[in-house]
Amino acid sequence: MTRLAPRDGQRIDRSTPLRFSFDGRDREGWAGDTIASALYASGQRVFSRSFKYHRPRGELCGCGQCASSLVTVDGAPGVRACGEPLREGMRVEHQNAWPSLRFDVMRATDLFGGPFTPPGFYYKTFIRPRRLWPLYERVLRSAAGLGRLRRRQDEREWRTEYRRRHCDVLVVGGGVAGLAAALRAAELGADVVLCDEDVEPGGALLAEGGHEHARDLARRCEQAGVEILSRAPALGFFDGLVPVWQGDTLHQVRAARHVAATGTIEQPLVFPDNDLPGVMLTGGARRLAALYAVSPGDTVVVATTEDRGLDAALALRDLGVTVAAVADLRPDVDGELAARVEAAGIELLRGTMPVRATGSKCVEGAVLAAVDASGAARGAGRSVACDVLAVCGGAAPASSLLLQAGARARYDEASCRFVAGELPAAVHAAGAVAGHEEARAAEVSGAVAGAEAALALGLGGSGERERLESDRARLCELTVPVPRIAPPAQAHDGRGRGKAFVDLDEDVTAKDVRYAAAEGYDSIELSKRYTTVTMGPSQGRFSQLASVRVLAGETSMSLGDVGLTTARPPWTSVPLGALAGRPFEPAKRSAIHARQREQGATVQWAGDWRRAYDYGDPEGEALAVQESAGMIDVSTLGKLIVRGPDAAELLDRLYPNRMSTLKPGRIRYGVLTSEAGRITDDGTVCRLDDESFYVTTTSSGAAAVEQWFSWWLADWSQLDVSLTDVTQGLAAINLAGPQARAILSQLTDLDVSNEAFPYLDGQQGAVADVPCLALRIGFVGELGYELHCPAAHGRALWDAIAALGARPFGLEPQRILRLQKMHILVGQDTDSESTPYGAATGWAVKLDKEQDFIGRWALERQAELSPPTELVGFTCPGGEVPTEGAAIVDASGAAVGQVTSSRRSPKLSRSIGLAMVPSDQAEDGAALTISDNGRRVAATVTTTPFYDPDGKVLRS
Amino acid sequence: MSLDFLTPAGSDRAAARSPLADAAAAAGARTEVRDGWEVATSFGDPAGEGAACRESVGFADLSHLAKVELQGPAGALDAALGGATLGTAARAHDGWRCRVRPDRGLALGALAAGAAAGAGVRALDVTAAWGALAIAGPQARELFARFCALDLRESALAVRGFRPGSVARTPGYVLREGPERFLMLFGAAYGAYLWEVVADAVAALGGRPVGLDALPALSSVDGGREAARA
Repeated sequence: MTRLAPRDGQRIDRSTPLRFSFDGRDREGWAGDTIASALYASGQRVFSRSFKYHRPRGELCGCGQCASSLVTVDGAPGVRACGEPLREGMRVEHQNAWPSLRFDVMRATDLFGGPFTPPGFYYKTFIRPRRLWPLYERVLRSAAGLGRLRRRQDEREWRTEYRRRHCDVLVVGGGVAGLAAALRAAELGADVVLCDEDVEPGGALLAEGGHEHARDLARRCEQAGVEILSRAPALGFFDGLVPVWQGDTLHQVRAARHVAATGTIEQPLVFPDNDLPGVMLTGGARRLAALYAVSPGDTVVVATTEDRGLDAALALRDLGVTVAAVADLRPDVDGELAARVEAAGIELLRGTMPVRATGSKCVEGAVLAAVDASGAARGAGRSVACDVLAVCGGAAPASSLLLQAGARARYDEASCRFVAGELPAAVHAAGAVAGHEEARAAEVSGAVAGAEAALALGLGGSGERERLESDRARLCELTVPVPRIAPPAQAHDGRGRGKAFVDLDEDVTAKDVRYAAAEGYDSIELSKRYTTVTMGPSQGRFSQLASVRVLAGETSMSLGDVGLTTARPPWTSVPLGALAGRPFEPAKRSAIHARQREQGATVQWAGDWRRAYDYGDPEGEALAVQESAGMIDVSTLGKLIVRGPDAAELLDRLYPNRMSTLKPGRIRYGVLTSEAGRITDDGTVCRLDDESFYVTTTSSGAAAVEQWFSWWLADWSQLDVSLTDVTQGLAAINLAGPQARAILSQLTDLDVSNEAFPYLDGQQGAVADVPCLALRIGFVGELGYELHCPAAHGRALWDAIAALGARPFGLEPQRILRLQKMHILVGQDTDSESTPYGAATGWAVKLDKEQDFIGRWALERQAELSPPTELVGFTCPGGEVPTEGAAIVDASGAAVGQVTSSRRSPKLSRSIGLAMVPSDQAEDGAALTISDNGRRVAATVTTTPFYDPDGKVLRS
Repeated sequence: MSLDFLTPAGSDRAAARSPLADAAAAAGARTEVRDGWEVATSFGDPAGEGAACRESVGFADLSHLAKVELQGPAGALDAALGGATLGTAARAHDGWRCRVRPDRGLALGALAAGAAAGAGVRALDVTAAWGALAIAGPQARELFARFCALDLRESALAVRGFRPGSVARTPGYVLREGPERFLMLFGAAYGAYLWEVVADAVAALGGRPVGLDALPALSSVDGGREAARA
């Protein structure tokens, strides 16, 4: 096929040929072509097969919005051929056909399977036998689809990233209205971003005779500082955040004002075989001819319901395309355009529309007839030979973003369209989407919207309001009613053959919508979900209105009462990878993390920290702690500095035990509870001086405790207290084991004897030349010192201790060791209902405390009652280590409790654990039955620590 | 007891290390101990690093910058913060005084430790709690746009503007030190993560990590205005 003669405004560069392949065969196009225009120019009408019936599909919209031209490019599926610029060496393949595009065996679904594949057939047909569903699913997925993903993960990956962009005004849509809005707002001093789906801004003007003006507007926008994002569709409206997808970048645009200049979407007509290749929208035909110099066909028939079609017929003829006839559904169409059509020798068939497209593989003709209100042809109609049937069933405002922003849709009888009603604050509409379709009116409406947006931001000079009023008046003058007629839901010639599609994406026919309605899916939302109409890649652009019309006809409701489905993002289908952004996960790491990795630590998540789990031998590490000395990085502990004259009172109010009686340099364990007396966290409190406390929390609870303290501090504003979270500023190392004291004594001038540095004492001093707060506490049950130092020195301190023989150990050995001492882990051994009395920490509640405290009332009540369950230790005589979470069951097998922790103790050579058990079983020697993955395990309760029950080791 | 254990006190035996030190070393940093801190002075190409700061974007580890948190009644803080109001910072000697909240501020820089002056104001050394990156160059704002949703346009964050907010999905602060130079503070434990994020983004923009010696002096970044004010 040869190209049309060169004309101004064409995008192609005839001096730059580009070679590509389609299904393995070499093709050639020119720079500026889309894949579709190059294919079409080479004579290729069919690009792929359809989703369900495997019907041949090709060019429809010509602007990258429909799903009829989906192809696979260099292995990436779902590329819209009519929007994707051609590149040298592209490898283009058809989708959804096997063994070839020309002969597809699954076409049998269309030829023979129609009666057996109504909406929801797979729900009904493949439900039994249930066990075969995996097989059904595999077959269905391979038979239907929108292309195949690349097989290998690395082939599916490409770099994507976010880019946040704040601006004063975001204009969505780069047509004449959008450009005018952006230009005016920028001229008034606004920081403006304009995003547009096409490769260049200009919109419909580019193909409809206004390319020079459109490009001039775009140039002036750039000169005014507008940032223009091309090939960048806006995906949605999220409370002011508009994600704009542009290739490998997702712009997250936050604007103070938004202008939607999204235009309208030309609508297809519904009639039998309205999907034959060669049936395309008039806009698509115009773009092919005007931008790419490709004649859509040898003979074109235009079918329309409004002036847009007449204009297209004239434009195509002017471009050198033969237009055989125009079928205009308006019986009394008149006026300048109609006269020009007839004057051009084009037959104008008033009051008619296609009632069938004819042809086997492509359009060979159209049957044009007058139709009644139901769409039935009056008479046999007239057959017109053609190879392209360009249709225009009116247009639908592209109002999805406006609706997502909060506008309500209503059906406007005069324009035969759903339009966006009152706009939300800070949102403006311009151009065709706002009803100003004619180019001059669209431009003025854009200027009005741009000025309104800028003025609302306090920009612009004194004369701008007068200018705005003047523009508004001019816009009123330019806004004139346009004669239109709504097409029937479906036209037909009464022969009953052929499928009339309302949704080409999903192969949903008018019959399908009616069938679903008859089954009770008679609201548009239900119909959508049952039939999948509007759920394809084009997001209902070309099927929403058609399906509403069919449903309205079937239910005898008005179009307004049927309404639209909820507008949801994304407005344009977008790869998930583009939404995901860069694959980085915020992780906290201690200052010693890298050193531990060098020492062989395996790392796991612990809350939001990456933490050493073990060094390959957890039991050996635990034994080393108990036999010589071990060291563990506990920098993840939450750490708060609480200071001020009222610091002690604050802590007394927050903890159920007394902190005000702590002497400087002493440490006390504390459990935090909610107002309902439930455990929320625990840790230690060290009094540094009269007005300063050092509070530690669990690793995962640090942020919550800090918020809890801050929240109450705000309420108790009369307390003079300062709170600072120093969790990330301090490294902490727990040096524990019989040799801990000896090791520490070599690193510090502090007297670390038991007399000078007893259990639960805290002292400051240099350790290995590093300023430290040393806390004599023992979570792992051995003689131990927690050394807290500036994180910047954490590694140096770690290295110094390791050099003296302490063996690093990880989280898993720590869990073994603490379990031997029955030290609880909040969150592991407690849940949201655990109270101190039920979690073996009732001793930390001092109800005789003078100071009122959080949870007091609830704890007093709990103290009067026996808790339903209690946390106890258990051992399994058989040596089993039950799964954490396994149920404690009674004689009938009913679950009455739960194993919260269990391990094998290398030191004790037996299994040990903690479990929530009914209170009447919470006594030494009580027998438990554990149901663990189908097996029953016998266990015996113990209420004292498994190791060092009297704490002699700890205090030694 | 005192709160001295919060303050890094580098010595020959135990130089203070930035939370970004391991990542910087892996990226080829050449280090020296300065004022008790092991700092990355260059990445082996001082000229290229300087060019990045002038022509695209460079980022340098400034975690050694002293940081002191100041808390107290708003009125008392005013004097300690050199008049910095909410959302702004004031230049003080070689450092900054930043207003975080009406009753909380941050003193940054060599003399931060001496910022406790003023009745009713409590100071706490948080140097090690916060990592710091200087981001400089004409592409600095574009770099931020890759991992930070704060509005850093001149109209929203002028020079001396100071914003708490999310940086790379973690809590942090951004201070605009000059037209094309920002200081970003973030939780020290996120250091390795932040380096990964920033290094990835900077590479895509043609920038690079730079050593301290390549980082332009504030006065030159700010066209001399800062020096004149000081």
